[in-house]
Amino acid sequence: MTGAPTRRTTLQLLVRREGDEGFEVHEVPSAAAWVRLRPQRLPPEAWELAEVPSRVQGRPSYVLKSTRTDRYLILSEPERFLWERMDGRASVQDLATAYVLRYGQFDFDLLPALIAKLQRAGLLSLAPASRLRRSLARHRERRLLRAAEAALTALERLRVSSRRVHPRFERLYRAGGCLLFTPAAVVLCAVVAIAGLVAGVRLWREAQDIAAGLGARPALALLTVKGLLLLTLAAHQVVHGLALVHYGRRVREFGFTFLHGFVPTFYVDVTDVFMASRRARIVTAVSGTLVHLVLGAVGFLVALGTGGFVQAFAAAAGMAQWQAFVLALYPFCFIEMDGYHVLVDALGVPTLKHDALAYVRGLLTGAASWRWTPETRLWLLYVGLSTLSVGGFVAFNVWVVAHATG
Amino acid sequence: MAKPPETAAFLRTVPLFRAFGECELADIAARLRERTLRRGQVLFREGDPGAEMFVVRAGTFVVSKAVTGRVEQILARVGPGDFLGEMSLVDRAPRSATVQAETDATVLVLDGESLSALIEFNPRAAAAFFQALVRAFVARLRESGNLVAEVTRWGLEATGLDLEAR
Repeated sequence: MTGAPTRRTTLQLLVRREGDEGFEVHEVPSAAAWVRLRPQRLPPEAWELAEVPSRVQGRPSYVLKSTRTDRYLILSEPERFLWERMDGRASVQDLATAYVLRYGQFDFDLLPALIAKLQRAGLLSLAPASRLRRSLARHRERRLLRAAEAALTALERLRVSSRRVHPRFERLYRAGGCLLFTPAAVVLCAVVAIAGLVAGVRLWREAQDIAAGLGARPALALLTVKGLLLLTLAAHQVVHGLALVHYGRRVREFGFTFLHGFVPTFYVDVTDVFMASRRARIVTAVSGTLVHLVLGAVGFLVALGTGGFVQAFAAAAGMAQWQAFVLALYPFCFIEMDGYHVLVDALGVPTLKHDALAYVRGLLTGAASWRWTPETRLWLLYVGLSTLSVGGFVAFNVWVVAHATG
Repeated sequence: MAKPPETAAFLRTVPLFRAFGECELADIAARLRERTLRRGQVLFREGDPGAEMFVVRAGTFVVSKAVTGRVEQILARVGPGDFLGEMSLVDRAPRSATVQAETDATVLVLDGESLSALIEFNPRAAAAFFQALVRAFVARLRESGNLVAEVTRWGLEATGLDLEAR
């Protein structure tokens, strides 16, 4: 991790209410918060969209009408693509990603200009990123919730990052990082993983005895394991960055932040990999997760060769690492981790989770009708598998704890 | 309506009049009008004509400039002892920003005629007044420079434009 920008930029804006002298003051703490906003178009009864075919250009354009303000906007095909996704669930960042996956490039002016155009026409509002934040914002009159919101905002601002990391990643790559992307490294990784698996199976038989090695403070020991896991997340992100260098792309940012204001995590900006081949994107996504596979295997091997507290701690750390590996690589768990990105890239459906959840939610509330098309089958499959997987994951953890504690 | 002696006592605490003597303070206090505003009331709007400046006696004001639609950027918040509207008093151009009371507030109004009288009958006090005004202008100019840098940084963050990489 490198030196961070010393100041976060804050804009104070005053928004006047219609019809009186009243106003509200909005503080936008950082443009980083802007990319996490979720544009929400008005309900369907407030607008109409009509296609205007063009025989000259061969590409249609669209006319969007606000039925409330009687304003008309002409949208291009890419703008219509973005408009359709502005349902309050996709963030500005999600929209940009979907755009890149769809059109293979990104126009930096398009999305802000479109949002401004739609806001001026009264067709759009911008909501805070997470449901939690939206819920807190709705109940600001309660002192405790206002304090919670302020605390989350403060934590979100605790972002330590640098955009000058690419040369450092290049140096790290030249200093030996390049060896990670050789056939020998792949073979070594497989061997260590198999050895770890064998060790894990052998340890499993004595799980109760090993768990007893954690002594009188098992909770403290497990918290330490989680803390170490957080540190290995940094290594995970570093390997993503090295993969980017390997494919000749640029690491745009590396840092530490609190996701949604309370989940501590490291991150690396790998958006430049969208300009590379699909193979590069897959390798970049998968390589970082292998850190957890290898470290987990090492943990099991250490546990096999030791005893007492060290054995218990190493086994617990190995288990946590392998869970992180599965969670990162497994696409069907409602979390957009590395495996999910590989899946949507392979399928060419960048907004799979968001579309699938919207469809199933519509089915459950009666807002959507039952359809049996390839698209809806994919959505149902995603939601079904994810629900089963999350249930299975929870059940597995309960079983592990029950098995280990006897 | 406050009496001139009370106004003079208040003006003694205002940086703009810090170099004034007792007689000069009494003189200027007699020339100032007091105006009260309710919370939310607009003192003046961007684009309005204006030939008066205001010294905030009580309450706070928000100074904002139109950005787009109903959205305005907040340039500053001012409170007791601060002054407003001096730009139009100097250049007679329309107001450059909107000023609205954030709380119930009171201001003292200094019009062009009173300022001219101050210059004519009390040049020493007028010189001290303009010196303090220039000092305040310089401070605000520096703040504007910082704000431009802030807004530029915000824009760079928003667009993700990585100029260092080019």
